[in-house]
Formats: sequence, C-alpha cells, structure tokens
Amino acid sequence: MMKQHTWVKRLKRQKQRQLMVLPGIIWLIVFCYIPIFWLVIAFKEYDITKSALEAPWVGLKYFKEFLSDERFYTMLKNTVGIGFYKLIVAFPIPIIFALFLNEIKGTKFKKFVQTASYLPHFIAWPILGGIILSWLGKTGIINHVMITLGLQDTPIYYIAKAEYFWRIAVISDVWKELGWNAIIYIAAIAGVNPVLYEAADIDGAGRFKKMWHITIQSIRPTIAILFILAVGNLLNGSNFEQIFVLRNNMNLDASEIVDLYIYNIGIGAGRFSYASAVSLLKAAASLILVLGANLVTKKLTKESIL
Amino acid sequence: MKRIVMLLLVLVCLLSACTRDSGKKDMETGSEHADKGSSNGSENNDENDSVNPDEPGWKQDTSPVALDWYVHASWYTGEWGKSLVSKYITEKTGVDVNLVIPSGNENEMLNTLIASNNLPDIISIGFWEQNAKVLMESDMVHALNDLADTYDPYFFKVTADGSSAWYTYPDGNLYCYPNESYSPDQMTDDVLLKANQTFVVRKDIYEAIGEPDMRTPEGFLNGLQLAKDYAADQGLTILPFCFQGIGDMGSYAFESYIQNFLAIPFEEDGQLVDRFTHPEYIRWMKTFRQAFEKELITLEPFIDTAAQVEETINNAGYFAMLREWTSLEVANGLIHDQDPNRIYIAIDGPSNANLDKPLLYPGGVAGWMLTMISKNCENPDRAIRFLTYLISEEGQQDFFLGKKGETWDTIDGRDQLLPDMIDLLQKDYTKFTNDIGAVDTYWLMRNPVIVNKWRPEYPDYIKQMIEWTRDKVDTTQGLYDSIDPPADIDEGIMLQKIKRLWGRVLPELIMAESDEEFDTIWAEFIAERDALGFETVQAYRQMQLNDNKAKLNQ
Repeated sequence: MMKQHTWVKRLKRQKQRQLMVLPGIIWLIVFCYIPIFWLVIAFKEYDITKSALEAPWVGLKYFKEFLSDERFYTMLKNTVGIGFYKLIVAFPIPIIFALFLNEIKGTKFKKFVQTASYLPHFIAWPILGGIILSWLGKTGIINHVMITLGLQDTPIYYIAKAEYFWRIAVISDVWKELGWNAIIYIAAIAGVNPVLYEAADIDGAGRFKKMWHITIQSIRPTIAILFILAVGNLLNGSNFEQIFVLRNNMNLDASEIVDLYIYNIGIGAGRFSYASAVSLLKAAASLILVLGANLVTKKLTKESIL
Repeated sequence: MKRIVMLLLVLVCLLSACTRDSGKKDMETGSEHADKGSSNGSENNDENDSVNPDEPGWKQDTSPVALDWYVHASWYTGEWGKSLVSKYITEKTGVDVNLVIPSGNENEMLNTLIASNNLPDIISIGFWEQNAKVLMESDMVHALNDLADTYDPYFFKVTADGSSAWYTYPDGNLYCYPNESYSPDQMTDDVLLKANQTFVVRKDIYEAIGEPDMRTPEGFLNGLQLAKDYAADQGLTILPFCFQGIGDMGSYAFESYIQNFLAIPFEEDGQLVDRFTHPEYIRWMKTFRQAFEKELITLEPFIDTAAQVEETINNAGYFAMLREWTSLEVANGLIHDQDPNRIYIAIDGPSNANLDKPLLYPGGVAGWMLTMISKNCENPDRAIRFLTYLISEEGQQDFFLGKKGETWDTIDGRDQLLPDMIDLLQKDYTKFTNDIGAVDTYWLMRNPVIVNKWRPEYPDYIKQMIEWTRDKVDTTQGLYDSIDPPADIDEGIMLQKIKRLWGRVLPELIMAESDEEFDTIWAEFIAERDALGFETVQAYRQMQLNDNKAKLNQ
C-alpha cells in the first residue's frame, strides 16, 4: 500500500516529464501493440470485408507457401546480404567520423562539417533516390568523374546492373545517414571526463593513444547497445523506401527484398493473410538476431539491452 | 517494472476493446443507414407511385445535399466547387460533391476504407482492380437496379443495354455502371472509332532521312540506324527508340500493344491462343534484340522513371516511340510551340510478314472506371438520381460543355464551346480545368458516344495521330477485356507470378547477346511459365471469354 503511494507521488512529481512521454506511449500502443493482435490473420483466410475473428483458420499454409516460393532464395539472399553489408560498412563509419570530428579544434569548421553531414538525413528517399539515379545515369556525374579519372573507358549504366546494386544501396545509405548516426556518438564523446585526457597527457600519450584508450573505451557501452539494435534491424536494414526507389526490372536479382515482396503481395495484390505471414516470419527472424547479438555482446563487453 | 508492464497491458486491452467497439458501432450505424434507406424507400414508395418513369428523378428534389465521391486514382486532380461547371451542377441539382482522392497508394486507402467499413457514398474504381470485385461481392454496395426501382426508374432509360448486361452479376443485379464503355451496338458507328495505340516518329528527322518504310524488321532497324546517324551528324542528342509502360510485370508496349500491331489473333476456332508464342511475335522480339545490339534501343527507357521519360518526350528527345497518342497530347503541344517540325507523327510501324493492317484496341464495353453507391450512403435516393443525371444526355452535356451562354452556345447549328474557351483549353489546360472544368475535367461518368459530338476539334498535330488509327481499329477486342483471374484465387496467384517472371525476363531477352542466347532464355521462360501453372490460367481465361461472349450475345 505504502509502496504504491510513493509510486503515485513520484508520478505526480514528474508530471510534466510524464506528459511529454505520453504521446510516445500512446503512439506505441496504437501502432505497435494493438496491431499485434491482427497478426492472427497470418494463420487465417482473412477477407477485409469481414472481421478477422470470423475468418477460417488455415494453419501454416501461408508460411509454407512463402518458404516454397521460387523467389524465396533470391529474396533471402538480398535481404540478409544488403543488411549485413550495411552492418559492417555503415555501422563503424559514423563512429570513426565522430572520433575524427572530435579531434577538430576549430569550432566553426566542426559545426559546419557536422551540419553538412546530417543534412541528407532530412531529405526523403523518393527525392534523394531521384538525385542518386540522375548521378548514376549515363551522362551523370559518377560516369563523368570515373571517365575523367581514367577508371573506366565508356559510361556504365550502374543502376541497370545487379552487380553494382548492393554497393549503391550501401554507399547511398552511408551518405544519407552518416552525420545523423554520428550525433549519438558525438554526444557520448562530449560526456567523457576531461580529467582522463589531462592525466593521459601527463603520462605522455599521443593523440591516437588517447583516442584508442580513452575515447573509444568511454563510448563502448553506447557502441555495444547501438550494435545490438543494428543487428535487430539487419533484416530491415535493407531499408524498404530506399530499395523501392532504386530498384528496377534489371537489377531485381540483387534488389528484390522481403519487404518489397510483402508490399507487392499485401498492398499490390491484396493478399493480406499471406503478407502478414511473411512479415511475421521476418519479425521472428529479427527477434532471434537481436537476442543472439545481445547474448554475444553481453559475453564480450558486459553490455546488454535486456 | 512489472507494474508498468501490467499497466501497459491493461491499456492495450482497453484500447483494443475500444477500437473493436467503435468498429461494431460503425457497423451498427452502417446497418442503421441501410435500414433507414429501406424505410425511406418504403416511405418514398408511396410518393414514388406518382413518380413518372419518363421524368428524371433528380428534378423531384434539388435541396442541398453533399455526397462523398471516392476516385481510385491518386493522379486525378479534379476539384469540386471552384470551377464554373461544378458550381453550375451543384446549383442545378442541389448536389455538392466532395471528391475523395487518395494521396498515396490507392489500394492502401481503399483497403482501409473497406476494412473499417467507412466507405464514402459513391466509389469509382477501374474495372480490372481487385477491389472492384471485393466491393461488389461483399454486400457493401447497393444494387443500382434496386435503387433505381425505388427512387428513379428513369435510370433504365439512360443506361446502355450492352454496358448493363456486361456488368450484371450472376445474381441478376447491377452493382456498378462503367464510364468510357462502348456498348457493342455503338461500336458500329465508325465515325467515333479511334484507337490509342500508335507508332510515332519525330517529323523533322523522319523527313530528313527520306521517310523510310519501317514495317519490316530490316526497314525498322534501317530507319532507326539512319535516324541515329543523322542525329550524330547534326550533333543532336536523340535516343533512337522508346516504348511505353515498363514496370515490374513487363512493358505494355512489348505485350498486347505490339501483338496488336502484328495483327496476331486472340483465338482460333473459339479457343484462346497464346499470343506470346506466335512466330511473328518472336520474330519481332528478336528484331528488338538486334536493335539493342546495334545500340538502336538504349537502356534508358528500361531504367528511367516515368517522369524522366516524360521530360525526354517533352523535349522531343526520342526519334521513334511505341506509345499511346493520348500520352503525347501535352508533349506535342509543347514541341509544336517551339518548332512545329519537331512534333511526333504517327506512321506505319512494325507489321507482320504479310504487312497486314494492325488490329488496334479502341476501347470496349468494359469501359474504364466502375461507379458504385455504397451502403453507407445516407442519401441513396439522391445518389442514384445524381448518377442517372450524369449518365443521361443532359448530364453529359452539362459536364462536357457547362452552362449554355456562359461556356458554350449553338453556333452554326452545332453545340460547341465558345471560341475563347477553346483557346484557353489549348493554351493552358491546367487553368482551363481549374477555372472552367468542362470537357474532360470530370470524366467519372463520361460516355464517349455522347460527348464526342461536342468535342472541340483537335489541333492538327493531334489529329494526325488519331486519323492514322481510324482504319485500324478492331471492334471485337473488347471481348477479351477482364478475362484475367482475380489476384485472390489460385489462378490469379499463378498469373501474378508469371507476370513477375515476365517482367524480369523481358529485359534479358532484349539484351541477349545473340539470337541463340535469346532462344535459350526464351525456352527457359516458357518452361518456367508452364511450371508456374500457365495452362491453368489459360483455362480460366477461356472460361471467362466464353462468359463474355454469352453476355454480349444477350
């Protein structure tokens, strides 16, 4: 009884802050928790004109259909491939960027670099995609630069060739999100106790020694947690919007991902039960990945999200 | 922690209960509406005994009423209430229309409206759409014949028998009415007939290279080569060839479009044939492959977005195109303003070995958009009467021409737009649709058979393309509309997979490095297509075709 009393009291004391969190909680409940109930249609023959409760059960029919789809292997390869590629390339780059940015002494220049690097984050993929497509065109800037530098003789249709697609997806993603993802590391670095650097100076540590032994060690928990989250996002890491604007019939063998398939069969063909089954399967795989990453990170760095 | 989790769970349950409750409430009000509708109906029935079936129903009641009208086309820019035509119609009939246009993916919006039982009063949707079938089979829309019986028997006087027969369901009810539908009896009126499919070339280049005959594979390749060389000589940046409608499931131009040009038959002895395996079709696909090898077809049309293609066309950046003339109306206007010689003109394009005339698709009884009245509609009486009005000649005229004396008049014995209106229409189409709203602004119930007699003359640079199609239309092609299985049945799932396969194979075929490689890819495609269930799909199509024939013979 007493305990609850303090709980309520604390809530009252924090009421402004609690109010700020409330919209987020409501959003989470409405758009993330309530829809969970509707996942039941993955096991049912759902018809949108009737209630999900009335629909007849079909068991694992749709899961089997997806696993036996002739494009399953291609989609799996692309989804995991692009996600993994992004994880190993796009994950460390913002950390390195933040570390180097921290070494820049001129405040004005530092601010400029930081602002310039996170600006693309605010441009939507449909627009950015258009820009990237025109850069990659036959007469676009990329071909121009490559030919001028003597790296290729004739223009290449980069976007029409499957072998370039993963690279395009990763590089454009790094460009768009680099500055934004670095913000959290920059914040973490700002929190490092300056006394540590002073002590290291006295001990005669150089710039890179300090970076390695102090800065990185101090932001290790942040890196660990973000890594676990990134692994959980691996299957989403292929970023639906980006792939949707960059793919075409010619690069489908490298660009057809599970999310695109869900979109096509769900919104396009109106097969809601099947689309739900596929997305449930994907979510389950993501969950396993997060738990796995969490376990490994916990063993290695003693950091975990659970 | 535990407490917070508990709290969250309780909240979730509460909220989900709420949503389910409100859903139920919606449904209750929905059925209430329906009840109200029918009780209104019985009340009105007494009234309606005095209703004259020879008199349009809308004249009975012109008190103000608002109807929500959903249009399944995110690209539709029509607005209601600002243009002269819409104001005139609201004033005349009392009906204020609130157009509901999806802002993103159409299916996303319509699915939400259906699932939440929140359908607007009137719905217009393409006949090939999966959701058109869902709406009609789910008891969410009124049978128009029932509404007409109760509120406005004049409906049966203005609807075309062929169109009604085509869309009458096996249960005997008519749930929708199409626009742009040619009833088979109207198809015989050759004055009206034109097709949309054309092969066009840039006039100045075509003339400069000596107007080569491009009907044979050799002639086609030669023409493109001459144009390419000419452009290189003159320092023009021109892409030799462009085609319409590339997407996930292939390209319209490389499917039925080119098959129509080659006059490949749809059926033999009543049996549907596979137009894709016809030798003429394969011969020409190989020609396109050779064109690609000789760099007469470039990659751009495959990878450019629709906007990029449009920009190139507006700048007359292609030499030849397999493209519908309606998609060139604006472009040819723009080009004509800059240099009348650069416009696109239709010429004889790819033909079969006998050089037979193409058999072009002129539209059919299936029409384009189907309009339905939802059971959520609070004023089904007004909705059906409004629909009747729109379908009738009077409504068609009001929509197409506007108010007499204001936007049109009878000049030289012909009802036509005033000259300054025509001028605005041709000079600034956007301003014309926004301020005036006549002609094609509100095409939702447009009936070409009625309105074409009022249509202002097309400028010469459009007329040329239309005239080219006139003697090549195939009036029987409407028969093969809507024979594809819907996406939610087994045959439909098979067809979806086959189409996606085709979408991937098509560029491979065109880009194959040799005819032998083409043959290998082709053989693999046919084998894979058969494995995906092509025979079953064809059987379904045959069944639908037989149904279609039965409907038209009624």
